[in-house]
Amino acid sequence: MSDLRGDELLERVVAELRRPVALSPDFDARVMAALEPPSPWTAPLRWLTRPRTVTVSPLGLLGAAACLAGLVVAGAALATRALRVLEPPPQVAVAPAPGPRAEVVRFVLAAPGARRVSVIGDFNDWDAEATPLRPAAAGVWVADVALPPGRHEYAFLIDGREWRADPIAPRAPANEYGVPNSVITVGARSS
Amino acid sequence: MTDLPDGVIVRRVLEGDPDAFGVLLSRYRDRMARFAVHMLGDRDEAEDALQEAFIRAYRSLRRCADPDRFDAWLFRIVVNRCRTAAARRARRARLVAGDAPAVGRAAAAPADPDGWREEIERALARLAPEQREAFLLKHVEELSYEEMARITGAGESALKMRVKRACERLRGLLRERQYV
Repeated sequence: MSDLRGDELLERVVAELRRPVALSPDFDARVMAALEPPSPWTAPLRWLTRPRTVTVSPLGLLGAAACLAGLVVAGAALATRALRVLEPPPQVAVAPAPGPRAEVVRFVLAAPGARRVSVIGDFNDWDAEATPLRPAAAGVWVADVALPPGRHEYAFLIDGREWRADPIAPRAPANEYGVPNSVITVGARSS
Repeated sequence: MTDLPDGVIVRRVLEGDPDAFGVLLSRYRDRMARFAVHMLGDRDEAEDALQEAFIRAYRSLRRCADPDRFDAWLFRIVVNRCRTAAARRARRARLVAGDAPAVGRAAAAPADPDGWREEIERALARLAPEQREAFLLKHVEELSYEEMARITGAGESALKMRVKRACERLRGLLRERQYV
């Protein structure tokens, strides 16, 4: 894919740059030590969801079916109640661990003709899938996101390809890479 | 486990096996290190950026939309960590007078008897950051323009222009040095 055929000078440059670079010998150990252990619920969940072979008699099957039906009815009733309590406010995306002082920020972009729009930034590791905007009226896209206090750089990604700064927000001053980013400061009003 | 596809390993990590992440780490560490060191020109800074990128990737693994293309997703995080590190350095340089950019001063290989590698690092350091990034992704990491567009957020035509300008500038800088 790298087409430098015939350019002897740049071929030599690239050959040199492709040579491996050494990291500290303990690099892997440091990274692995920094990873949090999995949730204590992971192992029990894996045990519960592991496939098993069960043998039952026809009579036992009838009893099991009756028990299952009862459990399904009771579970559905409980789940409906729980969902009413736990359901987040509609259409509010939550950036990772926003904390108690988080503020809900509304991101709005006019992008007529776009098939999908997402907001990417420091707060979601620039992940194009994490925070999609929803289509509102006439080519306007909207998302409400809970952000922790502090300065956040962000941009919009249109159809997974086109990177666009927020036209109504200040630009990130240190962006020297030709990719336009915007800046929002959460908590600035209270300070 | 070392020959399993990325998607299978990602799913193992997500099912509660953090050690499986070590396979992804050893699979992509060298390639990402090469990019980060050439991009930042400082081994320590590159190592910090890389460590942060791997930890962020682990924490955000559920958001990796296509686990079979974990490498492309990881590359995007590494590119952004390098940009953040460069921006941090630029802010520091503005605050501390005389703190020259680190690019090109610390990445020379230990065995570089004719100084060729150092010449290259110095020339790379003189490229505009977006040109350096595009050149490395295209010619050193051998990504397609489509992949580069997804990783950098820039359009394909802009990336082609950056690579072209980077090549021209590198040719000029290195020929200049050769014939001095």
